[in-house]
Amino acid sequence: MKILAPFVLILAALMTVVYLDDAPPRADVVFVDAAEVFTLDPQRMSWMQDFRMAYALYEGLVRWDNTDFSIEPAAATTWTVSADRLVYTFIIRDDAKWSNGDPLTAHDFVYAWRRAILPDTAADYTAMFFAIAGAEAFFNWRVQQLEEFAEQNADLDPQARAKAAEALWRRTEQRFEQTVGLEALDDLTLRVQLVRPTVYFLDLVAFGVFYPVHRPAVEGWALNDAITTQMRQHGWKRVDEPDFAEREFANLNPDTGRFEQKHGWTKPDRFVGNGPYMLTHWRYKRGLRLGRNPYYHSPDRVGSDSIETVSIDDINTAILAFESGRVDWLSDVSAEYQADMLAERAAYDLRYADRIESMLANGRTVDEALAALPPPESGERRNIHTFPTFGTDFYSFNCRAMLADGRPNPFADARVRRAFVMSVDKQIIVERITRLNEPVSTTFIPRGSIPGYESPEGLPYDPERARKELEAAGWVDRNGDGLVQNAQGEPFPVIDLLYSTNTPRYKNISLALRDMWRRGLGVRVELRGKESKFFKDDLIQGNFMIGRGRWYGDYGDPTTFLDLFKTGDGNNDRGYSNPYVDGLLAQAADEPDPAKRLRLLEECERFLFDEEVPMLILCQLVQVYMYEPGKLTGLSHHPRLTQYLWQLKVVAP
Amino acid sequence: MTGLIVRRLMQLPIILFAIYTITFCLAWLIPGNPLQNPEGRQPPPEVQQAMLEQYKLDSPWRFYWDYLGKATGVSWVLGAHDRPFDLGPSLTHQDWTVNEILAAGLPVSITLGLLAMLLACAIGLTAGVIGGVKPGSAADFGTLLIALIGISLPSFIIGTVLLVVFGVWLKVVPIGGWGGVRYTILPAVTLALPFAAYIARLTRFGMIDEMSSDYVRTARAKGVPQRQVVLKHAMKNAFLPVLSYLGPAAAMAMTGSFVVEKVFAVPGIGTHFVNAVLSKDLTLIMGVVLVYSTMLILFNLVVDVLYRWVDPRIEMA
Repeated sequence: MKILAPFVLILAALMTVVYLDDAPPRADVVFVDAAEVFTLDPQRMSWMQDFRMAYALYEGLVRWDNTDFSIEPAAATTWTVSADRLVYTFIIRDDAKWSNGDPLTAHDFVYAWRRAILPDTAADYTAMFFAIAGAEAFFNWRVQQLEEFAEQNADLDPQARAKAAEALWRRTEQRFEQTVGLEALDDLTLRVQLVRPTVYFLDLVAFGVFYPVHRPAVEGWALNDAITTQMRQHGWKRVDEPDFAEREFANLNPDTGRFEQKHGWTKPDRFVGNGPYMLTHWRYKRGLRLGRNPYYHSPDRVGSDSIETVSIDDINTAILAFESGRVDWLSDVSAEYQADMLAERAAYDLRYADRIESMLANGRTVDEALAALPPPESGERRNIHTFPTFGTDFYSFNCRAMLADGRPNPFADARVRRAFVMSVDKQIIVERITRLNEPVSTTFIPRGSIPGYESPEGLPYDPERARKELEAAGWVDRNGDGLVQNAQGEPFPVIDLLYSTNTPRYKNISLALRDMWRRGLGVRVELRGKESKFFKDDLIQGNFMIGRGRWYGDYGDPTTFLDLFKTGDGNNDRGYSNPYVDGLLAQAADEPDPAKRLRLLEECERFLFDEEVPMLILCQLVQVYMYEPGKLTGLSHHPRLTQYLWQLKVVAP
Repeated sequence: MTGLIVRRLMQLPIILFAIYTITFCLAWLIPGNPLQNPEGRQPPPEVQQAMLEQYKLDSPWRFYWDYLGKATGVSWVLGAHDRPFDLGPSLTHQDWTVNEILAAGLPVSITLGLLAMLLACAIGLTAGVIGGVKPGSAADFGTLLIALIGISLPSFIIGTVLLVVFGVWLKVVPIGGWGGVRYTILPAVTLALPFAAYIARLTRFGMIDEMSSDYVRTARAKGVPQRQVVLKHAMKNAFLPVLSYLGPAAAMAMTGSFVVEKVFAVPGIGTHFVNAVLSKDLTLIMGVVLVYSTMLILFNLVVDVLYRWVDPRIEMA
């Protein structure tokens, strides 16, 4: 039995390790997000789950009311707009504080926005800040200076290079102050000068990337008691900046001259934010927990004391966790059997249709109505919910004249594109293939999502017209083999249809499209499924004929969608270019009258989706949530589907 | 014995260098740009280029030597870098360094792996001995059947069934995550089952062999009780093939299983082997492979040493 001794010892040691690594007690609200939080640095965010955290951990100058997306004051109490709509002046609340007790000042916004504009930060949303006067020129200047720096100083010794990098940085700071229309008039007043009357500017300011950061925390300044006390009074602006050697998370790279940011500051013991919550736990792949920010100016607005997001990658496990009561909200139920679960919800709705209708007529919300009904029986459920979003599912046509391999591209011809669009029966796809019954669509901007904007008609499902369009483009079945040929008798090239394999959704839709085009138009389609990373690579290089895509709008203006069709835009995967579209977008950008501006954008979308169709639009995307109605409150159902964690609350059933 | 250990330890850097080089070549050939979002917006091209430069992804040569220097600590020794064994920032989880990711995941994987191995030994040896002592009996048939199930049912099915029964119906364990004993039991059992089944088979065959050997017959003839024959004489020798299997098995269990980690949402390092490659997260791929290789080599060494200690007849290079 001696041989057992080491095993028992190992077991005891392991159990101790496991026991000591205990999880904290359950938070008030627990949810599972679509993916792991990527970053808590607001200027570098671009994922939905990250922005959700931004809206809890930070507070911008203004915020959206997430029920109707009007603008309401947040860190700013008031603001004024000049008559020509080019100058915005924000007055910041005098009781707004960071989670370490330092006052929030206008300088914090100048600093954060400067980070977003600097090419050094590599922010995905840099271009959004080009609405500010001088920002784009400053960005280009810095890019060019950095290029010259790398060339000119290659031969210097490291110390001289470090000096040169610092000199360039000082010049950069000065140039920013002098040329960019962003100024802190005093500690609580921020003035922003715009390039053109951007009617949706406040909508941008409410977006996460415009939220402030606390400079000493972000750069990891070495602080002593005297400095800390001084900052507690007036903020960091009145304190001398420490040398780069004394900044833990920021340095200047002597080889490239670039300002480099390390990300240690986003960890719980170092994090400083100005939002309703602060970061209390964040462990890689274990979850992230928020607790109340003791210095938040309006604690009454905050629904729960603590909120936790747990990392559960596998959607099946997440659903089981929800069923067991461990999780209150699943924000993205993309399981393969989601349609079956939705059918159970439909069965429940059908049984109580009359009662639900009468309760809605009496002014109750859907959630309240559901909660008031008897619990579902087997084969029914009421805890799964679909919401249309501010996003569109589509397939891109490659619009370049030539394909990546040098062959001429049949889809450069708008008639061919129209033929392909009109031969697709979208209703069948949402009913039988995705089975989510998404609202089918013919236009890129979700219909009715932007007040005052009239969407164009778009192209209908019309197989007859589709064949005529293809014929007009010269593609006819000339030899009776069921496939179309051009005048020279060459068959239509086999269509290279590119999709990503991260969900089965696009494989299924692509298969359906293949059959529809084969039968409707007499063309052959070859599917090419790729893992999402490789898929994106092919898409960017134009190595496809038709490729799947999806797009979510960022702010409440048509340009968040239509800018994709600008010649040379970074997100123009289609390689689409048309001077008329570019002209309309430029004209709209300079138009000060909001109503006239919308008419210009309407014409732009009409031209794009009635005539040019660089995309086959399928449907408005929907999001599937799971939560117990009546138990979890505070979720917004507005299509922009922005959830503020501080509004969430679990109420005892 | 010391000679063996010293020799093996001297081979370690050479093997690691070869693994590093081969992995780097393969990882570099993966198409795609690790800094690019597959969905959504793209930053301006100048910014993308600058990012590639910052992470030294613009030239394979630069990345190869820079990473090698930082990961091995050579740059630190030369004073070019501020800390040794720096595996760099993760390219796809930019708020974390690879060192932080491994420091968070490795202890979890090791704990879970060791627990699973202990469980596997306990279940496997017991089942194997029971079956091996009376081959063809009902007990043997029963253990065989269980072993068959353990080997042939995929972990995600066993795991999901366990979650449904103990998590949703009985509500005795929490679903998903890590932190405390209750979170550990189900993943450990799921991870242990295939290993247990294999160990049971190995032990059973070993026992059948040993039980029919001359020395066991002699022991029986002398009147040694059955219990002592089995536990003291036969099992000792039947254990040898199991021991040689335990080395690689432990390394395999401790570096985490992609499936078990996914089903139970265990924050170990197993998922990185797959996800890092899919997202072309070069620093994470290299870090995970280097750490895993080191562990594997050291484990094999430990097993070889143990083996020689248990059975001094074995000669090893």
